[in-house]
Amino acid sequence: MTTRRDTGTTWGPIGLGLATLVGVFAAVEAMIRVGWINGFIVPLPSAVLLSFERIIVEEGVLRRFLFTAAEALAAGTLVAVCGTSLGVLLYRRQILRLACENWVAALAAAPLVLIYPLFLVIFGRNALTIVMIGFLSGLPPAILKTVEGLSSTRRVLIDVGRSFNLSPSQQFRKILFPAALPTIFVGLRLGLMFALINIVGVEFLINFGGLGQFVNELAERYDLPAMYAAIFFVILVSVGFFLLTERIERWLGRVR
Amino acid sequence: MARSSSMSAVAHFGVGRVARVRMAIVVVLLALWEAVAMSGWLFRDVVPRLEKIGRALVTLLAKPDLYANLGATASEVGVSIVIGGIAGVAVGLLLGGNRTLGKAFEPYLHYLGPTPKIIFFPIMIMWFGVGGGSKIAMGAISCFFPMAISTAVGMREIDAVLVRVGKSFRAGVGQMVTKIYLPAMRPAMLTGLRLGLGVAIIGVLLAETKLSNRGLGYMVIQSYTRFDIAEMYALLIVVFLLAIAANALVSRLGALRRGGA
Amino acid sequence: MPDMTPSAVLQVEGLVKRFSTGDETITALDHVSFEVAQGEVLSVIGPSGCGKSTVFNIIGGLTDADEGRVVVEGEAVSGPHPAIGMVFQEESTFPWRTVAENIAFPLEIAGKAKDERVARARQYLALVGLQGFDRHYPAELSGGMRQRVAIARTLASQPKILLMDEPFAALDEQTRFLLGDKVMQIQQKLAQTTLLVTHNIAEAVQLSDRVVVMTYRPGRVKRVVAIDLPRPRTSEVVGSVAFQAFVAEIWNDLREEASRGMLDAEAHSRRVAIGTPASLNE
Repeated sequence: MTTRRDTGTTWGPIGLGLATLVGVFAAVEAMIRVGWINGFIVPLPSAVLLSFERIIVEEGVLRRFLFTAAEALAAGTLVAVCGTSLGVLLYRRQILRLACENWVAALAAAPLVLIYPLFLVIFGRNALTIVMIGFLSGLPPAILKTVEGLSSTRRVLIDVGRSFNLSPSQQFRKILFPAALPTIFVGLRLGLMFALINIVGVEFLINFGGLGQFVNELAERYDLPAMYAAIFFVILVSVGFFLLTERIERWLGRVR
Repeated sequence: MARSSSMSAVAHFGVGRVARVRMAIVVVLLALWEAVAMSGWLFRDVVPRLEKIGRALVTLLAKPDLYANLGATASEVGVSIVIGGIAGVAVGLLLGGNRTLGKAFEPYLHYLGPTPKIIFFPIMIMWFGVGGGSKIAMGAISCFFPMAISTAVGMREIDAVLVRVGKSFRAGVGQMVTKIYLPAMRPAMLTGLRLGLGVAIIGVLLAETKLSNRGLGYMVIQSYTRFDIAEMYALLIVVFLLAIAANALVSRLGALRRGGA
Repeated sequence: MPDMTPSAVLQVEGLVKRFSTGDETITALDHVSFEVAQGEVLSVIGPSGCGKSTVFNIIGGLTDADEGRVVVEGEAVSGPHPAIGMVFQEESTFPWRTVAENIAFPLEIAGKAKDERVARARQYLALVGLQGFDRHYPAELSGGMRQRVAIARTLASQPKILLMDEPFAALDEQTRFLLGDKVMQIQQKLAQTTLLVTHNIAEAVQLSDRVVVMTYRPGRVKRVVAIDLPRPRTSEVVGSVAFQAFVAEIWNDLREEASRGMLDAEAHSRRVAIGTPASLNE
């Protein structure tokens, strides 16, 4: 007996979410001022709000963001190129796929980022280490999804190609690859996401780079409001990334 | 479906052939390694010879130190999974069961999910101290998100007809939960558990590398500071094997009582 | 309201059901009344969009009617009634339970002891012809076999009235015929009162004692056709002239309803609307 009025009701819940968020911040602010929460451990939300201007103007958070973005772009490009190539290789050579697919899946679950001290030794304390860690973390999902996309092309589409006597490379370029593209994109998105997470994480850990390093620096300086503001900035970046890729995926879905 | 087609493919190639290809790949990789190690192309000690790594591994496994630290990490991971898991499932049930709450708050889960949790570590230290507490907190906030999201999704994707079957037989609320909702959600929740375990392990280990005086992550950083690269390799091998084993264990647990996904 | 015969075990009295979508209010059911006698097989047939699934849900107690009531053995129905057992159109076996555990489900809910559950499950398993499959999982069975499990599960709760919503819709023609045959054998054996909702005319004539023909939206009872063909309805009977005559008669009634339904669906797709005709049948 449910009435369907989907338009108009989505704003209600969104408003509820935002209102709850604001309410929580207001409550925290009040509790700190009253003394229920230690202001040395949790900074005043209002102070955090004020430091936004400071981190943008004085601390150059945008410059740092671009640095991280550049690292992510480098890692992402490597993931895209190597991930899809290796995926295609595994798809083409059945025997390799049977041998390696489980290993790649296992690597996807392993704590690859823990290798960073080793990379520090090999590559030094610089952006290369960070990009390499990002690349390694993003590689497994890209490979796996490429293989999956190619192998789950609907049989009938392949038969259409065969009925037109397409050569194997034409078959691949005109049918298999375009059909697999949405799934491949999912893999690249996952890969980029893992890469970005680990890039910011390693920046934090080795105190070098863009946003991650910034958070670490602020923590060591004990500048709490600015640190919270910087963390929030990182969250904004991940939100933006999520929304952007969701938009692109939906567009790809419609084209399909 | 994929499994059965790959099983027939294995049958086509022969189990023996797949195993031999795997061995061949391993041998080639090891040979390449040895070649790089011997050539001295990379800075010495950075790519030690296999024998050196092997000896370091044996020495490591003999140290009681290793097991003490392994226990510390394992217990931190274990507790963090329990805390993060229970909180995640509770929130997931709430958001999955109520459409308004879900629409209001689930986006936040998706936004916070892909954030590197390690940047919250300084806050965890301030709140929970420099000891195990902050590591457990790191693991907990890491595994909270995949568990909450997969529980919520699992709840929403329960086949509506199964709920109607239960209602048509006049099952009580408790019966609906134990006999229909939970079993139907089992595959999704196991996926969440697997993912949650993976990120909890990562969260705890990374926290240990940053600030700790025990645990496997601590040992890795120690070998870095002492420049004992061979031991670092040995440690990484041990950690990776353990993490993969833990992941496989959870997968086995999922496949144990068949039927469902 | 017509006089209700005393042997009627289920009485549907003046059901009215409306759905509002945004600014429209659709009347799905407009004073639908009929009754089912003890041991009878009654089919409700109509075009898509005539509200027959709504009738199914109201009698089953999963939805409430806006007006009118359903009476089972003298009691008015509100919520799923213990005397009514439902078999749904879609795949409804629990994938995580074995066949035997699926069948035993209503007995578990009712709190029966384990021995009784096991015995009864085995009994109904055999009744639908699936002996030996008790430890299989639904995923290992064909669609027709799974539907038999669903039917056995409902029968295991020993309902006075068996309520089925297009139970063979997802099956191919031949399986449907054979399964329908099997269900009729069981029905005759148990003298099970059965109410079957369907859109398949041949199926309705093959299986029922009477057929209620509904109009397209708003759904009303257009006609009730008594099928006096001999039981069991063997292939001879199904191939007979009399059978075809009944089918033709019912199709005659349905044809104009069905085409009204089709025109309406096309118009609906052209309009920008929330909700589709199919979803309004909930």
